[in-house]
Amino acid sequence: MFDLQDFTVSFGGHAALRGASLRIDRGDRLGVVGESGSGKSMLALSLIGMVPEAAQLSGQLSIDGRDMSRASERDWQRLRARRVAIIFQEPMAALNPLRRVGETVMEPMLIHEGLSQRAAEAKALALFEEVGIPDPAARLRQFPHQLSGGQRQRVLIALALACDPGLLIADEPTTALDANVALRITDLLVRLAEEREMALVFISHDLAAVARATRDIVVMYGGDMVERGPTQEVLAGPAHPYTRGLLGARPDPLANMAGRGGGRRQRLPTIPGTVPLLRELPQGCRFAGRCPVEVPQCAARVPLATRLGPDRSAACHLLQAEESA
Amino acid sequence: MSAPLLEARGLTRRYALPRQSLLRKPPQMTAVDGISFTIEAGQTLGVVGESGSGKSTIARMVMAFEAPDAGQVLFRGQDLHGLKAGELRRQRQHFQMVFQDPFGSLDPRRRVGWSIAEPLRAIGLEADGARRSMEALEQVGLHPGDAEKYPHEFSGGQRQRIAIARAIVTRPALLVADEAVSALDVSVQAQILNLLMDLQEELGLGLLFISHDLAVIGSICDQLLVMQHGKAIEQGPVGQILRTPAQPYTQSLLKASGVFV
Repeated sequence: MFDLQDFTVSFGGHAALRGASLRIDRGDRLGVVGESGSGKSMLALSLIGMVPEAAQLSGQLSIDGRDMSRASERDWQRLRARRVAIIFQEPMAALNPLRRVGETVMEPMLIHEGLSQRAAEAKALALFEEVGIPDPAARLRQFPHQLSGGQRQRVLIALALACDPGLLIADEPTTALDANVALRITDLLVRLAEEREMALVFISHDLAAVARATRDIVVMYGGDMVERGPTQEVLAGPAHPYTRGLLGARPDPLANMAGRGGGRRQRLPTIPGTVPLLRELPQGCRFAGRCPVEVPQCAARVPLATRLGPDRSAACHLLQAEESA
Repeated sequence: MSAPLLEARGLTRRYALPRQSLLRKPPQMTAVDGISFTIEAGQTLGVVGESGSGKSTIARMVMAFEAPDAGQVLFRGQDLHGLKAGELRRQRQHFQMVFQDPFGSLDPRRRVGWSIAEPLRAIGLEADGARRSMEALEQVGLHPGDAEKYPHEFSGGQRQRIAIARAIVTRPALLVADEAVSALDVSVQAQILNLLMDLQEELGLGLLFISHDLAVIGSICDQLLVMQHGKAIEQGPVGQILRTPAQPYTQSLLKASGVFV
């Protein structure tokens, strides 16, 4: 369905997304994890043709076999909503505060699908039910400020589903929500993807949410896809040093209990330093300079993806060296 | 026996809700309902709960930004809410706060050295400002020279370090951190948590640490207070609560805090 080949998005010669390749088919549930500046949002914007105008693009993107790399904004408008929809982190910012949420959800149906007002109303009501909004008929007539954060996110999901997209991209959909609400929204997205045979790209820095929602995972750092594979396999046995660092840095509510009792509390493992600015990223492996197992060639040469299994790979010079040895 | 660093006794805070009718009194909601706890020097109390559970209201009452409707906040045995304005201002150097969003709490038009020294000016110690803000920057792992830069020149994690530098510049005995690591990436969050633990051990700080994330709480706190709808539903040593949570609500928070393998 979606095929991204060696896709690069640069700003002034500095790549925010570098050589990204990705295939997404019907029913796939793909997690994209990484921290700020990893390029995960740029990847999402690439898939819906909303990369900032200042960017230089290279590589291929085809959707349903059609080359979209040089498509016009008009082409994209026709495609968006019907083939691909996106939901963002902050549901309040994505909803017009002056419009009833029902009107907002109906708008794309009126524009893209040519539904009548009545048909659109009926569909909006059905969608509100589908996404689990209680008392949907009354909610349709309410304004965003009258809804809780979790309900607003459900409204946005309903909006994204308005034209029955084949791919739903959720960019940090749970970050602004309380833990319990986040869990329910995550489960809702999975249920919708399964019931509708819709592909889901779940972008998050929350590894637990990604583990719950997805079958496959891509780990990003500094604009590169550094590791990919089945979610459970990657999280249980990360191969790339960055993935290992990221997993290690998560506080574990119970790990720290053992050594407690007056003594020095255990420190969390950390990744030294900070993510460099785009223009200061090393030319070779982006993780060079912070990597605990770095060798001299890392900063200068771009590591190639090494196959670690049927669907698994990681881009690290050490793995490359092991393979050729 | 000397008084604990901080003691809260039966803290209660009610807010008026929007009027339902012109003639009737507006309904009230109790944001914080009879909460008591103590924090000793060098100890950390974690407060966990969902948004709206009253966590931040507790922080505001402890910081004396807001007075309780009932109950007391005793700082070294002294009731903060009974102090005169001038005396309270002098006491403020001893308890400081770190907020969630460092970008929102640092003046974008001022060099960070100026912002860090702000609490010193408030207590008439401006003469020492430059030296002490550089010292504070070093304590949080930044360079003294960073005092000359502006907030936009720093990453999110560095800005949170600056906010912590500002909070410790008056050499407080108590630090209140309200969701201080929630907006940060995982690896940066780990760095800031370690920094807080280092500073606490170095300076003997008491810490009131508010978070919605039980995993974060577990890694830094000694005591734990679980809040729901303004009430303390569970309270005690953090290890005990996390190992054997008594309340279904605590169990669900633990589940949601994401242990996945």
